[in-house]
Amino acid sequence: MKNNINIRFLAFIAILVSFSSCQKVISIDLNSSDPRYIVEGNITDQPGPYHVKITKSVNFDQSNVFPAVTGASVIITDTVAGVIDTLTESAAGDYTTSKLQGTPGHFYTLTIKSNNKVITSYGLMPQPISLDSMYAEPSPFGGDPVVVPVFTDPETQGNYYQFIDYRNDTPNTEIFILDDKFVNGQTNRQPLQGRGGDDGKLKPGDHVRVDLLCIDSAVYKYYATLDQLTNSNSATPANPLSNFTGGALGYFSVHTVSTKSLIIR
Amino acid sequence: MERKLNFLLALFISLLVVPAHAQSKFTISGTIKDKKTGEGLIGAIIKVADKPSLGMASNEYGFYSLTLPEGTYKFLVNYLSYKEQEITVTLNKSIKQDIFMDALTAELNEITVSSKANTITSAQMGMDKLNIKDINMLPVLFGEKDVLKTIQLLPGVKSAGEGNSGFYVRGGAADQNLILLDEAVVYNPSHLLGFFSTFNSDAIKDITIYKGTAPAQYGGRLSSALDIKMNDGNDQDYHVSGGIGLISSKLNVEGPIVKDKGSFLVTGRRTYADVFLKLSNDTNIKKSSLYFYDLNAKLNYKLGKKDRLYLSGYFGKDDLGLGSLFGIDWGNATGTLRWNHLFSDKLFSNTSLIFSDYNYNINFNASSLSIKIHSEIRDWNFKEELEYFANPRNSIRFGVSSIYHTITPGNITGSGIISSTQPDNHTWENAIHATNRWKATDKLNIDYGIRLSSFTVLGGTNMYELTTDGKIKDTLKYASGEFVKTYINPEPRISASYVLNEVSSIKGGYTRNTQSLHLISNSTTSNPTDKWVASNNIIKPEISDQVSLGYVRSLKNDQFEFSVETYYKKMQNKIDYRDGADVLSNAAIEPELLFGQGRAYGLEFLFRKKAGKFTGWVSYTLARTEIQIDGVNSNQWYAARQDRTHDLSVVGIYQLSKKWTLSADFVYYTGNAVSFPSGKYIVDNQTRFLYTERNGYRMPAYHRLDIGATRQLTHRKRFSSELSLSIYNAYGRENAYVITFQDDPNDKSKTQALQTSLFRWVPSISYNFKF
Repeated sequence: MKNNINIRFLAFIAILVSFSSCQKVISIDLNSSDPRYIVEGNITDQPGPYHVKITKSVNFDQSNVFPAVTGASVIITDTVAGVIDTLTESAAGDYTTSKLQGTPGHFYTLTIKSNNKVITSYGLMPQPISLDSMYAEPSPFGGDPVVVPVFTDPETQGNYYQFIDYRNDTPNTEIFILDDKFVNGQTNRQPLQGRGGDDGKLKPGDHVRVDLLCIDSAVYKYYATLDQLTNSNSATPANPLSNFTGGALGYFSVHTVSTKSLIIR
Repeated sequence: MERKLNFLLALFISLLVVPAHAQSKFTISGTIKDKKTGEGLIGAIIKVADKPSLGMASNEYGFYSLTLPEGTYKFLVNYLSYKEQEITVTLNKSIKQDIFMDALTAELNEITVSSKANTITSAQMGMDKLNIKDINMLPVLFGEKDVLKTIQLLPGVKSAGEGNSGFYVRGGAADQNLILLDEAVVYNPSHLLGFFSTFNSDAIKDITIYKGTAPAQYGGRLSSALDIKMNDGNDQDYHVSGGIGLISSKLNVEGPIVKDKGSFLVTGRRTYADVFLKLSNDTNIKKSSLYFYDLNAKLNYKLGKKDRLYLSGYFGKDDLGLGSLFGIDWGNATGTLRWNHLFSDKLFSNTSLIFSDYNYNINFNASSLSIKIHSEIRDWNFKEELEYFANPRNSIRFGVSSIYHTITPGNITGSGIISSTQPDNHTWENAIHATNRWKATDKLNIDYGIRLSSFTVLGGTNMYELTTDGKIKDTLKYASGEFVKTYINPEPRISASYVLNEVSSIKGGYTRNTQSLHLISNSTTSNPTDKWVASNNIIKPEISDQVSLGYVRSLKNDQFEFSVETYYKKMQNKIDYRDGADVLSNAAIEPELLFGQGRAYGLEFLFRKKAGKFTGWVSYTLARTEIQIDGVNSNQWYAARQDRTHDLSVVGIYQLSKKWTLSADFVYYTGNAVSFPSGKYIVDNQTRFLYTERNGYRMPAYHRLDIGATRQLTHRKRFSSELSLSIYNAYGRENAYVITFQDDPNDKSKTQALQTSLFRWVPSISYNFKF
């Protein structure tokens, strides 16, 4: 699925070699850091409303409670349709659109103002590409079932895809992205391999839904660098590249969605 | 030919101070050899007994040449763990005299080496030689004797990590070591992700590492030169030796082609870890292949009194695979053809034609997709070196080298994907060099020289023009073979020693080095797919300048040696990556790179016991290595990954009885500089970690004790065998290999740091034989 198949395999071998390895939880005195703005914004070609979530980062030793940024001014503009939507805060830190309708080919800008801080981003919604079909097959690595989303990449180069699969409505935390650098114009028959976080294998009777997202290159880069950070043993880990100005982390993704489901037999 | 050379020499020598003598002079020359095997001894010292400042060390082929006034001389010849030889010669004409040395056996080892060490007088700095015997005695991981792991126990040389054969010298990166096997560059000196080195110690005669001022014949890497010479093969008798170990077996066959004229040597090693994989219950592991092998071969033949040919080769490969689904193999191949010629008894010439290759192949075959990736770096190198032993006070070495590099980037072909092949990258690296080893006075020795290197970038591949933020502005096309750019760098080097008294000396040196091939890797482990990239219009050669100062003292009649060296090194055009760089694909690498500077300084201590039943050393390094690159760490200086404040090694070998030898080594070092998160946040309902400064944290300190014992089982003239036992990490320290961060599986409201450790209490056993 990804360009880094070989690296994953090497990691597997490294584990194999280190059969005498062991793991333990240790305590490390980590520095504190200034809270950073974290933004998660999505606009799709499906009916709205759409959400922009704003939180702040916390120190490592704090519990996983991430403070919501409330009272921010959040505006999304569809520059093609000339629609300016001022989002309302439907829950703490969760800002919701009221009139926007995501449309392929439209260009969207996002502006957030909070405590004299201005965060901006933009995105162009790609043309939709639909899943033609989906089937399950035994994995070449081990034989457990994996699903294969089938779709055809268009002739022009420069398409970026993200797959989100849900097993019985629980999303797979593994990052699945694909660019068409090496598969331009071809029909995809690569399975979604790996089930991060969710430690069970796909079993008969499982309901699997896959969303195929057509994303832009900036969002692709965000997920690619996030994947690099979480999955490879990088010597120089760094924050994933966000598409925000103003020092915020996260992403503003303007994408199309196509969905297929199946039941594992 | 000879006349021309003599003319050139005369020119060269006219620049030197040659004391005028009315007395006629004669030359004694020849080869210093091991009596039993006929192997030439490298760096053996020959000197006049009552005037020790008149002497020299034999060269890489065991050749020596001393020119002295007419008279009768008593010469003393010394070599580490060999019995001192005394020869008396009346020089009334130039003579040829080969010298045969007796190796000290275990029993004789107790005899103290009585000669004053060459280390006191030699101007050479930052150099260490390893004794193969020591390497064979020391306990190592899985019992695999390893040259590269043993040199990590020397001061100023640091291990790249747990069980890793990669090493860092004086703050340099792992790719900044020039690793030569019979003059051929070995681009990837490791097997199995760095856990084993490619050098099978059975095939090796001599290992010399230059950490500072390497002589001018070495060039092309910033930090060090590790010069490994293969055995020539016994030219007296046929011998077979071998070993059976926990993970590999090896066999060595050598013997004369024609006695006293030529010999051959073939050494092979193969691991069989994959045999154990078959025993696994896991089907994935069962189908896996996982092995490596090495093959060394060498031939040499004397064509006459003046000529000798050597042909040596190395071939090694790693293979990892999962059934027919996935496979990756990689390996080095080198070949060296050398011709030694004596133009006169004072002028030694060596001409070499060298081939080096490193490549990897990845195969992936699934139902709908088949991918092949192939990458390669290949060198053809021609070298000519001349050594002129002008007089006992001056010897001159000069030569030329020309290397044609070809790099095939990771070409991707297959079905189900679009093939992506880039044209080969060609570059041409040339150098001329000259060094004079000058005994200015009985107390002052000076080695000075220069290497003039040039690196020519040839057309045929895409080059780029970048904007200031690293985006491709323009693609530049050059015709194949066109000279795109030539970098010329003079690399001066000088080192001197001043003998304070019979047992001590001070030393100082300065050197400049450049490096035009760079290894691009963004991983904590050595990956076979790490990419070699040549300098081009954007990537400039890296430059380092190093000054060093040292003090050496010999103690207790040379039973002990103490040395201390300090260095300061400045590096320019250092390469790093932009955050989030993708260095794996074969797309243009230039936009992913950043360039900056580095500095490294340190203090190294070595205390060695060289003779007696108990031998060994303590080495300690206090050091700092920092990097500053615009675009990384807010443009501030930061600690390099290999920056380690303290690094201590203690090595001991004890000859308990005729049958038993015990050994142990202990290492302690400050943890590597690493980037840990300083915060966390949530996106897509996942906890993600927030990174702030580069390398702002430290891994926990690393320490480990290994113990070993070797028992001689049989020791007869025609057959000897021994059994080696060892325990790696004897007290089971859990050294951190990686530290990762995650949500606490038992309490999702918290996050935790998880440490993974490798090898604890790894016992091993091996059986070695020789007949």
